[in-house]
Amino acid sequence: MNHNSPRPIAGGIAADGLYWDALEAGEFRLPRCAGCGRWTWPAHWRCGECGSWDFDWTALQPKGVVYSWTRTWYAFDRTRERAGDVPYVVVLVEIDGADGARVMGVLAGDEAALKIGAPVAGTILAPSQKAKGYPSIVWSVQ
Amino acid sequence: MTGSLRGRTAVVGIGQTPLYKRGTAPDPEMKLCLRAIVAACEDAGIPPRDVDGFVSYGSERNEGQKLMPALGTRELRFGALIWGHGGGIPGALGLAASAVVTGQAEVVAVYRSLAEQSGARLRVAVAQDDTAAQYLVNGVDGPVQICSLRTQRMLEADGVPRSTMFALAQAAYHHAQRNPQAAAYGKPFDAGVYEQSRFVSEPYRLYDCSRENDGAVAVIVTSAERAADLVDRPAYILSAPTGAAGGWGPLEENHRPYASSGFEAVARRLWAESGYGPGDVDVAQIYENATGMGVGAILDHGFCTAEEAGGLLTFENLIAPYGRLPVNTSGGNLAEGFVHGMSLVTEAVRQIRGTSVNQVPGAQLSLMTGGPGDSVVSSALLGSGATR
Repeated sequence: MNHNSPRPIAGGIAADGLYWDALEAGEFRLPRCAGCGRWTWPAHWRCGECGSWDFDWTALQPKGVVYSWTRTWYAFDRTRERAGDVPYVVVLVEIDGADGARVMGVLAGDEAALKIGAPVAGTILAPSQKAKGYPSIVWSVQ
Repeated sequence: MTGSLRGRTAVVGIGQTPLYKRGTAPDPEMKLCLRAIVAACEDAGIPPRDVDGFVSYGSERNEGQKLMPALGTRELRFGALIWGHGGGIPGALGLAASAVVTGQAEVVAVYRSLAEQSGARLRVAVAQDDTAAQYLVNGVDGPVQICSLRTQRMLEADGVPRSTMFALAQAAYHHAQRNPQAAAYGKPFDAGVYEQSRFVSEPYRLYDCSRENDGAVAVIVTSAERAADLVDRPAYILSAPTGAAGGWGPLEENHRPYASSGFEAVARRLWAESGYGPGDVDVAQIYENATGMGVGAILDHGFCTAEEAGGLLTFENLIAPYGRLPVNTSGGNLAEGFVHGMSLVTEAVRQIRGTSVNQVPGAQLSLMTGGPGDSVVSSALLGSGATR
């Protein structure tokens, strides 16, 4: 697996196509260097540690702990799709078993136990207008 | 030190347009840009046609080659943009200094110009369409929400008290009351105003966030030799490094260390090249896209630890003339106005000249820190003839 489907958001370095492809297939995968086994996230083209150009997109459980969070009270220009959800919480999740790799996602459900270090589990959602046509993960505190 | 830029160049001219409410500038962006550069040249006593170098940062679109006909430029010899966003501002001084010291140019304008009517909403313009899908898919538009994630970690995990954020805002608004050019001039501010203001993205309230203004700001950098002939009190560039340590960059919130504004490596180089340390600084202009990120920049530069932050970063300590570390003495991005942070450079120069509306008496070392949390950041230490 080393091909990337084109995706419309051009802001990143475009090495994460397989991340979105996997989510769309209902799987949560992050890249590990095929040479040295290091988790390489966010995805890039070459492992800066061992020089390998190959990555194994490895399936993980979408589980982790809250690394940080913010509750957004404003409908920003480029995320207006979520205007109706304001205020909403975005969590930054440190994924279990991936050497500290972190991904973002909107928090669903009860916010009472929201804090840094709280365990969370993710649910993969099909592409949606709110997520700009991308698949996404929503998280809930366990 | 071989190759050091220390004290070999100086800022000799400063110029800025009024900082207009966003979308209301009477002139388009390029005309504002020209007005600022011409004003900086007049301040320096240098004909605008003598400017042979042009340096900016972020998404600046008024490249030197576009300005040449209006400035009467004889020859453009150097032009460059520092990568990144507001992180590159003081580093733009360093790039200009590098060009002068190596003989690539003699008179370099460093500038930034923004006007909404000519461009996009400023908070979109400064994000430069380089926000990765991981953010936008998950309801994170850009700067202030990203700053919120980082600052929440600084508060909740590192234990830096929220009072430091309010103190930074309070000092900025206090200073703005003596600056008739400031957006917040004549607008009183206290804990009640702050706490009743709406949240933008927690932990940030409206008053924690920088403004958006139309305007342009420019400074002129030339050699120390020429500076001595031009002006009474050149602001010597003692060091102005740009950079990012490994583990930092556009890493989609995988930065390590995370609760940081990204300056540790740059600050180490700043103190090493200049020969000074945080205890020597008389006054500081701290770029605050949001208050907590400014607090992080102060920590990163070694002024205090997370444990000490609540004690150092109080209103009394942060105000001119006699606080331990007066910051943002023209009002800063919060209370003076925001042209992508560039007006902090002119204020850092005024403190060396002794002409700030909130002057720190006898200031000899004036620090400016660039956009905190950016994928690359930079800082500059300016000195007087005595500290050069």
